[in-house]
Amino acid sequence: MVKIPLRAESRTGGCQCGAIRYRIDGPLGRAGICHCRMCQKAFGSFGAALVSVPATALTWARGTPGTFRSSSIVSRGFCAACGTPLFMQEDGDPDYEIAIGTLDDPNAIGAMTEQSGCESKVAWFDGLSSLPSQATADYRSPEDLERLKSLQHPDHDTDHWP
Amino acid sequence: MTETKSITGGCQCGAVRYAIDGDLHNPHICHCRMCQKAFGNYFAALVGTLRENLHWTKGHPAFFRSSEIVQRGFCKDCGTPLTFAYDHSKHIAVSIGSLDDPSIVTPEQQYGIESRLPAFAHLHELKGSRTEDDIPAEMMAKLKSRQHPDRD
Repeated sequence: MVKIPLRAESRTGGCQCGAIRYRIDGPLGRAGICHCRMCQKAFGSFGAALVSVPATALTWARGTPGTFRSSSIVSRGFCAACGTPLFMQEDGDPDYEIAIGTLDDPNAIGAMTEQSGCESKVAWFDGLSSLPSQATADYRSPEDLERLKSLQHPDHDTDHWP
Repeated sequence: MTETKSITGGCQCGAVRYAIDGDLHNPHICHCRMCQKAFGNYFAALVGTLRENLHWTKGHPAFFRSSEIVQRGFCKDCGTPLTFAYDHSKHIAVSIGSLDDPSIVTPEQQYGIESRLPAFAHLHELKGSRTEDDIPAEMMAKLKSRQHPDRD
């Protein structure tokens, strides 16, 4: 673990298993979601939620991501031990696009500003927020809840993990 | 229940491919913090099937035990999140985005809303653009996809 004191405007994040941890020192850039078919398959989802971070502000504090060249001009980073998609970066771009869900506090970004890749947008996306909803505790017993949250890396840095 | 015949999917790089020869059920999204971090996203989008209906037709996923009772499958070569399953269950869920045609299912429920992010409700209201609007034509010409095609 690279130990650097957190500055006022620092953020941390990482993959689900904790093999990869990063820190960002300084302000974040634009944030948005991308519906393109590449992001859908890379993230196994509707698409990706990404925030721009200058490469100079990003430190890999623990581990090194695996990368996949998803196109001739783009690399995508992920944790090879648990799969979490971590970033995409276009060749020559001074910024990384960090996967918002990997931030320890994914609320701590500025306003989301845009949707891109809309040529591949799934028809069901716009209705998601209107779907019936339940909290985990509504359908899981307290015993199950305890067993469900035990192995994910916590949403803060750790000296040793696991 | 969704009528399903020869449904296929896989990871981005194509090292892992699957086929589902049975019904899909319970298409949903999950906002829980586990799914957020596993998928690096606002939520996971998943659809279930019986374990016996899911066949790995190329390669096999790696698994991460994200809790005592859950394993999550992914491609160790490109990271694509592929599956979610409780140990005791006869069902397994696949990530909807890994389906070759993610439009064949429509999520019907939201789970894990204790962790739902405030921005989620407004994502669909954001100004939208198409890839060709954002990437100059000469860059588009250079953008040769290395993603596995959406078929076997």
